[in-house]
Amino acid sequence: MKRRIGIFLMVCLQLLLLTGCWSKKELNDLALVSAVGLDLNKQGKYVGTFQFVNPGNVTGSFQGGGGGQGNAVSVYSATGDNIDEISRRMATKVSRNLYYAHANLVVISDKLAKKKGVLPILDAFDRDATFRNTATVVIAHDAKAADLIKTLTAIDKLPANKVIKLLRFSERVWGASLNIMMIDVIKDLTDDGKQPLISGFNLKGSSSTGEKVSNIMQSTPQAAPVVDGLALFKHGKLVGWIDGKKARGAVWTLNKIKKTEININKKGRKEAIALEVIRQNTSISTSVKNRTAQLNVRVETEGNIGETKVPVNLKDPHVIADLEKGFEKQVKSEIKAAIKEAQAKKTDIFGFGDAVHRSQPETWKRISKNWDEDYFAKANVKVKVDVFVRRTGLRNNSFLSGAK
Amino acid sequence: MEKAKITAYQLFALVLLFELGSALLVALGIEAKQDAWIVILLGMIGGLLIFFVCYRLYCFYPDCLPTEYLQKIMGKGLGKSASFLYMLYFVYLAARVLRDFGAMLLTFAYIETPLFIANTLMILVIVYSVSKGIEVLARTGELFLVFIYFLAGSGVLLVLFSGVVDLHNLQPVLENGWKPIIKSTVKETIYFPFGELIVFTMIIPYLRDSKKVRNVSIIGIIVSGISLMLVMVFNISILGVKLTERSQFPLLTTIQTIQVADFLERLDVYFMIALIVGGFFKVALFIYAAVIGTANIFTVTPPSRLCYPIGLVVLLLSMTMASNFPEHLKEGISIVPFLLHLPFQIIFPVLLLGMAYLKNRKHKKQGTG
Amino acid sequence: MPSFFKKKSSSYNKKTGQEKKKEYSSSPLSAVLEENIEYIKTQTGNSTDIVIRSFKHSPRFNTKSAIVYLKGLTDSQTVQELLIEPLMKSNPAESDPISMEDMIEGYLPLGNMEQIKDWNALFPALMSGHTIIFVDGYSVAISSATEGGEKRAVEEPRTQRAIRGSKEGFTESIETNISLVRRIIQNPSLWTETMTIGRVTKTKVTIMYLKGIARDDIIEELRKRLEKIDIDGVLESGFLEQYIEDQSISAFPTLYHSERPDAVAGNLLEGRFALFVNGTPFVLLGPVVFVQFFQSIEDYTERFYISTALRFLRVLVFFISLIGPATYIAATTFHQEMIPTQLLIAIAAQRESVPFPSFVEALIMEVTFEILREAGIRMPEAIGSAISIVGALVIGQAAVQAGVVSPAMVIIVAITAISSFATPSFSIAISARLLRFLFMISAATFGFFGMILGFIILVVHLCSLRSFGVPYMSPLAPFIPADLNDTFVRGPLWADRKRPAFISGSNNVRQSESTGRPQPEQSSEMVTDQEGDQQ
Repeated sequence: MKRRIGIFLMVCLQLLLLTGCWSKKELNDLALVSAVGLDLNKQGKYVGTFQFVNPGNVTGSFQGGGGGQGNAVSVYSATGDNIDEISRRMATKVSRNLYYAHANLVVISDKLAKKKGVLPILDAFDRDATFRNTATVVIAHDAKAADLIKTLTAIDKLPANKVIKLLRFSERVWGASLNIMMIDVIKDLTDDGKQPLISGFNLKGSSSTGEKVSNIMQSTPQAAPVVDGLALFKHGKLVGWIDGKKARGAVWTLNKIKKTEININKKGRKEAIALEVIRQNTSISTSVKNRTAQLNVRVETEGNIGETKVPVNLKDPHVIADLEKGFEKQVKSEIKAAIKEAQAKKTDIFGFGDAVHRSQPETWKRISKNWDEDYFAKANVKVKVDVFVRRTGLRNNSFLSGAK
Repeated sequence: MEKAKITAYQLFALVLLFELGSALLVALGIEAKQDAWIVILLGMIGGLLIFFVCYRLYCFYPDCLPTEYLQKIMGKGLGKSASFLYMLYFVYLAARVLRDFGAMLLTFAYIETPLFIANTLMILVIVYSVSKGIEVLARTGELFLVFIYFLAGSGVLLVLFSGVVDLHNLQPVLENGWKPIIKSTVKETIYFPFGELIVFTMIIPYLRDSKKVRNVSIIGIIVSGISLMLVMVFNISILGVKLTERSQFPLLTTIQTIQVADFLERLDVYFMIALIVGGFFKVALFIYAAVIGTANIFTVTPPSRLCYPIGLVVLLLSMTMASNFPEHLKEGISIVPFLLHLPFQIIFPVLLLGMAYLKNRKHKKQGTG
Repeated sequence: MPSFFKKKSSSYNKKTGQEKKKEYSSSPLSAVLEENIEYIKTQTGNSTDIVIRSFKHSPRFNTKSAIVYLKGLTDSQTVQELLIEPLMKSNPAESDPISMEDMIEGYLPLGNMEQIKDWNALFPALMSGHTIIFVDGYSVAISSATEGGEKRAVEEPRTQRAIRGSKEGFTESIETNISLVRRIIQNPSLWTETMTIGRVTKTKVTIMYLKGIARDDIIEELRKRLEKIDIDGVLESGFLEQYIEDQSISAFPTLYHSERPDAVAGNLLEGRFALFVNGTPFVLLGPVVFVQFFQSIEDYTERFYISTALRFLRVLVFFISLIGPATYIAATTFHQEMIPTQLLIAIAAQRESVPFPSFVEALIMEVTFEILREAGIRMPEAIGSAISIVGALVIGQAAVQAGVVSPAMVIIVAITAISSFATPSFSIAISARLLRFLFMISAATFGFFGMILGFIILVVHLCSLRSFGVPYMSPLAPFIPADLNDTFVRGPLWADRKRPAFISGSNNVRQSESTGRPQPEQSSEMVTDQEGDQQ
């Protein structure tokens, strides 16, 4: 018995020693990829631009001075026919193992998205075990993805973080953009009844100043990424952009609005009264009859009066009711404009097709193949909006009412 | 037979852990698309029927291991060879689960590690535990059951907080009618994971209170069926049918979608714990059954002497059974159910029950007449 | 539960029992006083602390007598006043010489006296502090209990302090210790059995249990195991512990030890036995279960919510001290994806300048800490602060500034260290201390996979342990719902109706049904007065 235990222990020990540590990766040997940018060059090859974190420069210094002054990130790029090749070629330039688990941002240039589409590039990310499928995907609008990746940012030292946070907060507060994750894009791409809609980013200022440290030493950085519109996709390829109020209409329809602000005209003044939306709920449904589809959008939203530029009697419930109607009209027009734009591009970014699939599965089997062209594009749209003004802030009537 | 007794709750824990073992991790019944959850429930009902067959057999011979009552029913030689076939079947299943487990582990976390090492470590732990006997295994099961359900509970909360659940993905229900559902049930879920409960015929004779066998097992099967169903509902409603179909391990992808408070992300370790603990109990129970049965057939005492040899066989079998993971899965989906599961889980027990029934009736007649 | 106890050669027991008796040749005392005294002198090598006082009592008859005792072990005042004086001043007018019987019955005003006829009985009595009286012409000696001498007073226990609870702690004297418990449980069914163990040391060992509550088979088993012990010396209860444990190879203790009489009393009430060993304030308790090591005596005196919360904290603390560094190693070398990005960047920044792999770094720090701790325990208190300064400077500052270790690692080691101090039972804390290194190795070779496997082995091992036949993990596994009231959670005392099922036998009802939850009417929330009810 004792000998058996001895042998067993020996075997265990040998196993431990033998294993060496195949899958072990020390932090010092990892190059943390924080963002991936993909462009198309003139030869039709992919250009991958990877943003690497310089950990020492992000967190400031511990051991003596010297840290904290270099760049928070370093950027390298490589060219290849597929993503895996780019990743391997990068190894000739970067002294460490590429580590994708913390890559939270994928930037795809609009040129690439238009010409080749996102389908051929996403499989590598989807398949890889380390890459997060919760990484945010954005499209570089009128810019190169590489430039967006290279631009240094202030406050949020990691440019990738800046972009993601920007997107997240603008989605939450204004609502004309969407924080779309890789997994969402892939889901939409494989779904017959819904096409992807991805936020766009633009670079304000010139790209050459953006990559210098001097850019973030100024109080107003010369170059900075800004949220810019939503990209419409069809069969994986970029077909158009919507922005401004239309973009917000699209986000309404997708039921992704958390907070936003609606203005209406009143008493001849433009944008005179503002409603702060605090919550909303949107549902969509579709019915197909005799080869025509009917798209229904139903919005219920609540909000508070945020600002009045003209004197109105907010104490009067009738006035409030009147205002509510105005807001309803405004929301309705935004949503209609968004849907109209999508219909013009013949791409169902809202998932009306899925609604058919759910409610009329038999019909859907018949029409799913040409849903976008024959049904969605020609469908009638019906939007019903209910706005409820709940409160008016700390004051009832504005001081404007009493001003002389 | 080991001189040991387990409690009803311990049996319940073992049934549950066994059922969840590897079924938790794969896309169960996804052939039926968004109706996979119905497939699981139907499979559960099938499992209950299989269990009833086993239970009736157990009622005829409550104090014997199946290896013993097989001999009583079929005669010594035939019974022994039949039970030996069963032991081979258990060893094969243990090897399958071990292979599943090793492949999964390597796919998502330990890409560079050789399969042999991962499997060896696992089998060492399993063999050590099995050699401690059923009582220790059962107690360990009790503790881990609480642990697993605690994890599951917190996982569910996190998923709900992440706000990624979209129950619309489960619609439309019965899109293609009942046909694909029945087909998938008969082809898959009835055998895996529910039919594999046949291994518990080797465990239930240990229960202290033999009256409780029926209720405890039924509750165990139902709870495990519902748990599996819920997991599948979560998978589909979060990932959608298409992505669930394409995922090797939908649960992993589901867990990866958790994002709470910018801090709780990428909780792969949840998946890993479920994977290892589940795999551990499943393989351990198969090996235990094989060990105790083989010892019973060939009257080896103490049975624990067989642990290491059988563990080694399982390890080697798991390495050689397929050359790559897709091949392994293909075998599991299209060959094993009909060639092995169907005869061993359904046909044979039913025949056996018939024989036992006839035999005992004759017996009774002789007794009275 | 017949299978619990291994029936190991009971014939062996008998043999050793017989051998023990044969140690000193069974030789009767001589009737000649000088011979007896000479024999004592030769046997003890004329040791200087043996006092032999010869005198003549009842001077008229010239009877020679002698008193023999050990200096320091006896209470010299007692010897003087109660033995020598009465004997020497015995009435000279007596007509007959005082017989041995007279002496015991009439002259010596001492409580515990007995006659000894054999050297085998004489020497142990002498060595334990009895005073021996020889009278010429008698082959019988009188042994009188005059134990005394220097003893430590009853003080507050050093190792198990409680904020609320008795301030008495055990001392090194077995009689004091037993009396401390007797004072708490004033009941005749508190039974004790004393035996001596140790071929050379002849240490007194006492089993104490509550008859009718403790399981007889367990007491019998304990007796058997104790009888089997045949070693030269028992210096501390830890010596015995290693001989009577079920699983002596395990890293986990299967016997509990306590310095507190109230803790011992509490355990006796639950049906456990206590094992007192002379010369140590630590009393062994058994059978124990795993959860017991996370309990403290105050848990029962504080509000039960707080006690429950504290117990959970202790379990957490135990886990941290077990797998803290291992988790860090696994996460930073295998599973970097699990660390939130910002945190990972912070850790990576700190590790940039560290020349070692994480595992080595952790090992260096942990070993350094263990060295410091070991040094601190043995140090005289005055130098203790010097150690902590060196430790803080070396580990905390210099190592980090020199870039040998990362600050994150220091944090991890510090948390682990504090956790291991916070574990209430020292014996379970040191198990965790050792296993921590095994977990670190498994984490360094296989990351979380290795750790989970290690954890499974640990749980299997814990489940396979038994303490005097009681499953170590009960009442969690086997799961006994009725006993859950006092595990990691502690329910209110009034709900704790039964004693632990495995430990106490059939007599397991603690309190009558009627005791129940105290619900005085006045304190219920909506008081309706009686008259209103009647209407």
